[in-house]
Amino acid sequence: MSLRSFILGLSACFGFPWLMVVVVPFLKMRDIEPIPLVDDTGETIGVFNPKRTGRIADGSKIYAENGCYLCHTQVVRPTYAGNDLQRPDWGGLKTDEGDTRRETNAFDFQGESFAHIGVARLGPDLSNVGRRVESLYAKGTDPEMWLYSFLYNPRAEAERRRSFCPSFAFLFKETKVTGARSEKALPGVGSETTQILPGPDAEALVSYLLSLKKDQEVPAPLNFAPVKTAAAAP
Amino acid sequence: MSSVQPSTTAEDALLRSGIDRSLRHPVMFFMTSGAAWLAVSIILGIIGSTKLHSPEFMDGCAWSTYGRVFPAHINAFIYGWGFQVAFAVILWIMARLSRQECRSAGIILTAGHVWNFGVSLGVLGILAGYGTGMPWMEFPFFAWPVLLISYIAIVIWSFIQFRVRPVGHVYISQWYLLAAVVWFPWIFITANTLLHCLPGHPVMGAGINAWYKSALIFLFFTPVALGTAYYLVPKVTGRPVQSYSLAKVGFWSLAAIAPWAGMQKLTGAPIPYFLPYLGAAATIMIALPAVSAAWNLLRTVSGAGEVADHSPSLRFTIAGIVGLLVMAFAAVFLNIPGKTLELTQFSLSGYGFEILALYGFFSFVMFGAVYFIVPRVTRREWISRRLIKMHFLFSAYGLVTIALVALFGGLLQGVGQENWKEPWENAADFAYPYAMATTVSWGFILFSNFFFFIHLTLMWLRLGRRSSHPTLLVAHHGGSPHGPEGDIDNAGPAHAH
Repeated sequence: MSLRSFILGLSACFGFPWLMVVVVPFLKMRDIEPIPLVDDTGETIGVFNPKRTGRIADGSKIYAENGCYLCHTQVVRPTYAGNDLQRPDWGGLKTDEGDTRRETNAFDFQGESFAHIGVARLGPDLSNVGRRVESLYAKGTDPEMWLYSFLYNPRAEAERRRSFCPSFAFLFKETKVTGARSEKALPGVGSETTQILPGPDAEALVSYLLSLKKDQEVPAPLNFAPVKTAAAAP
Repeated sequence: MSSVQPSTTAEDALLRSGIDRSLRHPVMFFMTSGAAWLAVSIILGIIGSTKLHSPEFMDGCAWSTYGRVFPAHINAFIYGWGFQVAFAVILWIMARLSRQECRSAGIILTAGHVWNFGVSLGVLGILAGYGTGMPWMEFPFFAWPVLLISYIAIVIWSFIQFRVRPVGHVYISQWYLLAAVVWFPWIFITANTLLHCLPGHPVMGAGINAWYKSALIFLFFTPVALGTAYYLVPKVTGRPVQSYSLAKVGFWSLAAIAPWAGMQKLTGAPIPYFLPYLGAAATIMIALPAVSAAWNLLRTVSGAGEVADHSPSLRFTIAGIVGLLVMAFAAVFLNIPGKTLELTQFSLSGYGFEILALYGFFSFVMFGAVYFIVPRVTRREWISRRLIKMHFLFSAYGLVTIALVALFGGLLQGVGQENWKEPWENAADFAYPYAMATTVSWGFILFSNFFFFIHLTLMWLRLGRRSSHPTLLVAHHGGSPHGPEGDIDNAGPAHAH
């Protein structure tokens, strides 16, 4: 076999799958078609516009740089691929008022350049962490402050003593108290003369984490939830 | 296996020693700096792994946070150790099989320094908090063109040597090594341009990243290790490859199957549905080329008798081939959609599989090659057979523990994760003892490789034994198993024993 035919063989073996699983899907997914919103009468009233607010690009960068993706995923798999949807607070919230749980869709990563799907679940999935903190963890206090305190010392709360999450104290700064304590100072830490304030990176990260929510209603083509007959009549 | 018949054995021996001499510094540079990176990587791995069971350890310190130490560990392993030892082996085997002296040692050495510089900046960049967050591509953005250019400057010469070789038979090792040399830049450029330079859909980016990891294992490290094993096993045992046509089948089936694999790590994520299933199917089918190559090589060894026990190269290579068999089994067992895939997709099994492929298979074969090549390029024999034995024993022991722990611990962890009726913390508890065992076994591997590094450095300084007898892992009372020691420099070109 000559070098030329050998190289041709290598290129053919590699090139075909390369086109099929990498290049073509990449180009196809570059511009996913917007999903039309249809009202009850069947008329198109616009396109689905996923809502997401917060410092998404900045915060996603801090999330990446500190390796959050090594222990946390950001994907709620459909039922054929796992039991993620069964957990009451992963894909949305299942409360007495209703059930907003749904699987991850392609619009959930709006504003990010790389989806931090993640490699392992040593900690819980974060797809819905913003919603979870607001409704369950913060217990009426400021959700931002709850996340700051958690990141500063994940093992501070009694029920979280066994958390394996590293402390991100290096994203915070300790300053001298001059006059009144800052509103942003973390409660319960620091000394009498000093206070702990979140640094710019901590602010971006917390803003990003709070933007991870699954509470917006998705249009019919993205909604794979079985029709709930009991609650169907509005 | 040589492409032309030499006119005399003496001429042939002169040619071989000429090739060895021309490659002494490039080969020793890549092996030694690779071994140093391996030690660095393992130290970082121990710090990271400790944090998984004792999060208070070095807590709250920016550079040593788990999210930075772990990527630094795995990237130092891949680009610092894996690639550099692969360079050394590719350069030497390709030169020997093409029967060409290396005429560009200066450029290769310079490019090798640039590569090391790139890896150092990359690892420091990750630790300083400039990682990209893409697994196995965490080096800051600026590192990849540096690595690509120095890669080309290092391996292009092997390609040219192959082009101008005396016409004749092309041996299977050359197929594997050339294929790895051609595939890697293709994979590397694809992944880096699509993720860093062209805007795409974020989820597809994650898919391409998963494909890149898998392609690096199956289309670079696997062919390099198989090409090396196909060189070492017949060479050390003196027996031809059991079935040469099976070797070819193994090669082309790897080439046809491996590029499809990888995206099963995104099962359930919003990418086209066929991609994860194709990835799972291809990963399962990797067992075909893996088992055929392993069977072929083990059959070649099996008739060789005590050589396999005595030769350090062969002992490491055989261990590597066994690692390949275990890897093939794990590829099938861990990736069955609807059964085990959902359990292993986000558990410790992923890391276990990677370490099995990178250390249990690739690195063991590379150690075998190092023990074979170094005495030839330095014209000195290994100093201590006890150091070699220790290296093997502790590496093998550590690896078996890590692999078992990560594969089965990961599976149990997956069962915990999927059991949604129990609180999430239960799943984390499953991982706890396994994380602890992993730390201990990395400790063993560090111990073994520290001695490996020292041994290798002493050899580069040409402090090895001046002997024409190969180092064998067998103790004989009253001297060498070959009779009295001879001085290699006065004995003329050595004949093959």
